[in-house]
Amino acid sequence: MRKGRWIRSVLISTVVALAAFAAVISAHYHPVLGLDLQGGASVVYKPARKVNTATLNETISIIQDRVNALGVGEPSIGQQGSDIVVDLPGIKDPKTALSYIGQTAILQFRPVLCTAPLYTKPPASLHLKKSQLTPTCPTSTTNTASTLQYVPSTSPLKATSASTALLPEYQGNSKTVIGRYVVGPTLMTGNAIKSVFAAPVSQSASNQWAINFTLTSKGAPLFNQIAKTYYHQLLAVVLDGTVQSAPQINSTNFNGQGQITGNYTQASATDLATILHYGALPVQLVQQTVQTISPTLGAASLRAGLIAGIAGLVLVMLYTIFYYRLLGLVVVGGLATTFAALWAIIGYLGHSVQLTLNLAGVTGIIVSIGVIVDSYIVFFERLKDEARNGRSLRASVDTGFTKAFRTIIAADLVSFIGAALLYYFSIGDVRGFAFFLGLSTILDVASAWFFTRPLVLWIGNSISPKHYRWLGVPVVQVTRESTVGSGVIKPSRVAAKGV
Amino acid sequence: MVREGSDTSDSIESEGFKAKTIDASEASWWRRLGAGATHYPFVQRSRYYFVISFLVIVAGAAALSARGLNFGISFKGGVSWQVPSATLTVAQASKIVARAGVTQATVVTLGAHSARTVEVQAGLTKLSGAARTAKENQVAALLAAKAHLPSSAVAIEFVGPTWGGQITNAAVKALIAFFVGIVLYISIRFEWKMAAAAFIAVVHDLLVTVGIYALSGFQVTPSTVIAVLTILGYSLYDTIVVFDRIKENVGGLVDPGKMNYSDAVDLSVNQTLARSLNTSLVAVIPILSVLVLGAYVLGATTLKNFGLALVVGLTSGAYSSLFIAAPLLARFKERERRYRQIRARLERRNAPVEAEGLPAS
Repeated sequence: MRKGRWIRSVLISTVVALAAFAAVISAHYHPVLGLDLQGGASVVYKPARKVNTATLNETISIIQDRVNALGVGEPSIGQQGSDIVVDLPGIKDPKTALSYIGQTAILQFRPVLCTAPLYTKPPASLHLKKSQLTPTCPTSTTNTASTLQYVPSTSPLKATSASTALLPEYQGNSKTVIGRYVVGPTLMTGNAIKSVFAAPVSQSASNQWAINFTLTSKGAPLFNQIAKTYYHQLLAVVLDGTVQSAPQINSTNFNGQGQITGNYTQASATDLATILHYGALPVQLVQQTVQTISPTLGAASLRAGLIAGIAGLVLVMLYTIFYYRLLGLVVVGGLATTFAALWAIIGYLGHSVQLTLNLAGVTGIIVSIGVIVDSYIVFFERLKDEARNGRSLRASVDTGFTKAFRTIIAADLVSFIGAALLYYFSIGDVRGFAFFLGLSTILDVASAWFFTRPLVLWIGNSISPKHYRWLGVPVVQVTRESTVGSGVIKPSRVAAKGV
Repeated sequence: MVREGSDTSDSIESEGFKAKTIDASEASWWRRLGAGATHYPFVQRSRYYFVISFLVIVAGAAALSARGLNFGISFKGGVSWQVPSATLTVAQASKIVARAGVTQATVVTLGAHSARTVEVQAGLTKLSGAARTAKENQVAALLAAKAHLPSSAVAIEFVGPTWGGQITNAAVKALIAFFVGIVLYISIRFEWKMAAAAFIAVVHDLLVTVGIYALSGFQVTPSTVIAVLTILGYSLYDTIVVFDRIKENVGGLVDPGKMNYSDAVDLSVNQTLARSLNTSLVAVIPILSVLVLGAYVLGATTLKNFGLALVVGLTSGAYSSLFIAAPLLARFKERERRYRQIRARLERRNAPVEAEGLPAS
């Protein structure tokens, strides 16, 4: 008997779906919620001019660095065509963060007030007052070993402000801090720079390089002014909150051009020149869309989506149970296993590829309830057709499924092709929607084959003819042609129906 | 369907199964529908349906040319503020926004009680960069203060003026790809005339939905675009199920010369009518739940935009599968010589039968 195989198939598919669900739950792979569901900020940037892939990648990696410096949990920086999408879920101060991330050039010239010792973790016994945490230079020689070494470097966000800051200097691209400076408010920004080029220092025999720059007509007098004020002092070239270099001012008149010398190799000099020329980002970015959503509003949307989805699901289940009785329960079981599997996949993909579930995705899933239940309806109506044509329930289930499955495949393929094309060609929310619609379409086919078919076959074979009404299969067979209507349905057809 | 008699192995069970045999003229509409035994002349009356659809589309087109579509800020660019507040009134919000120097703002509320949200939308695309951000934050702070909330509770969305073009571009590309893909698939799986009929029905749904949006002035947002694309999928899905049955009935009834093509289409549509109605109902229930519960009661804006388009389109999609796609297919196929011959032969043969009145069963 094939009964054993059917039961096994039902059990295996149920167990697989539930096990996957349980595994994902126990591994704490919760679905990653989109910004619209958990609050946060999202920006889409577009380069102001056409750029090649290398430039775009460079831009993205710089933004990545900036975002990492913010310390936001699970940020995502992605590329969509030539656009850059930055998602900052759960961020507390989105406004400041966004203005920091998207700025083309946070290049500043700031006076060095004093050099500071490297940061040391304060001993547990030491409790610094808030006032002591602000970077201030030692006022006399007596307190040189001041608390400065216990004061952490100013975060890049605050370094953009006009106040005094304690900034680190890194060794090249590595994260090794080689020096720290207390710098004063910004004197001049990158806007004053007209052009920059790296060149070897001609007199130097030791292969030293320097960065030469020319200033704009506005920048030149300003720079001279600075040079006079801070003559023989250090001027820090600050980029994104870190000191790139702190050369000494050795002249009071620069004639609109200057040179930064230091311990530069050809590579590091060229790097700095590029940075000075373009600012941090190699291309100016234009905000396409900016979205900030408070966590409460996000939570409210999630709640609305979930409640609406569950209510819809319950109503659909009630209807199918009303109309198809025992078969309606099959639908309920099928939906439960499908959703367990769907949840497992969403949770797993959220963990492995940062797939986020946003409101559009939630609606996609809600919409797919209709698609999934439709497959059952196609099958059950087929089953009834076969029964009306005089087949036994057992045979009706069998042939009914074969025919219905062909229809389901044809129709699901349409949905799937639609979802796939939609995913490929669209942007933003549409993609999330298409993804979840496509995913549930695949699950629909799988559940029809591995769950519904064997379960209904088993029911059809086990149930006694006395209890057929449990299936909600009204075996109303129409024997005579109705006299109503236009009469287009010709009598010959009734005979053809094979009564 | 043609059955040459049941398998012998089934005969024992079939007695219990064929419990009720009812004369169609005595059966209720509900029973007849469930048994696929209704006789609605979809093809014969199709002229009326085409005219109805044509009028709806023309009305929509007129509204479209007269006042166009009400595009949301995602398409035309602008700023929107969402304040979750049970107390802030539209008048208060409008006043605050006007005082902040933001002109031509629209203020709406959504949801009720604790789920109530006040949404303000304004152009502001002329301001650039920092000035705009400053204005956004100023308005957010003012609205938050009035609603006794921290300013971070106000959701702000800015959309650049060129973004809408990009969305539209992507949507149009997706739409074209969708059409090409689907037409190819139906042509291969079925035949090109079915693909053509399905395509026309889908375009019909698209036009009707756009028309209703133009007539009603509902706001068009990216969610609407998603919804419209979904509708097209649904509509095709419905059409495919009906066509699948037509194909089967044509193979079993028309090709052996027992029925003409149009009658086979009518039969197929009637046979699948219970499914079509059940499916539409099952599809519309979750969407109504999204619209009524999610959007209006619980106040999720995105859900509202989505639900509206889906309800409009789903109705159109269900309608077009039955009243446009199937009759069109019949008309296309009846032009073929083979099916003209079958029709002529059947008409000759059936004439005397009809003259005798109703057949004895």
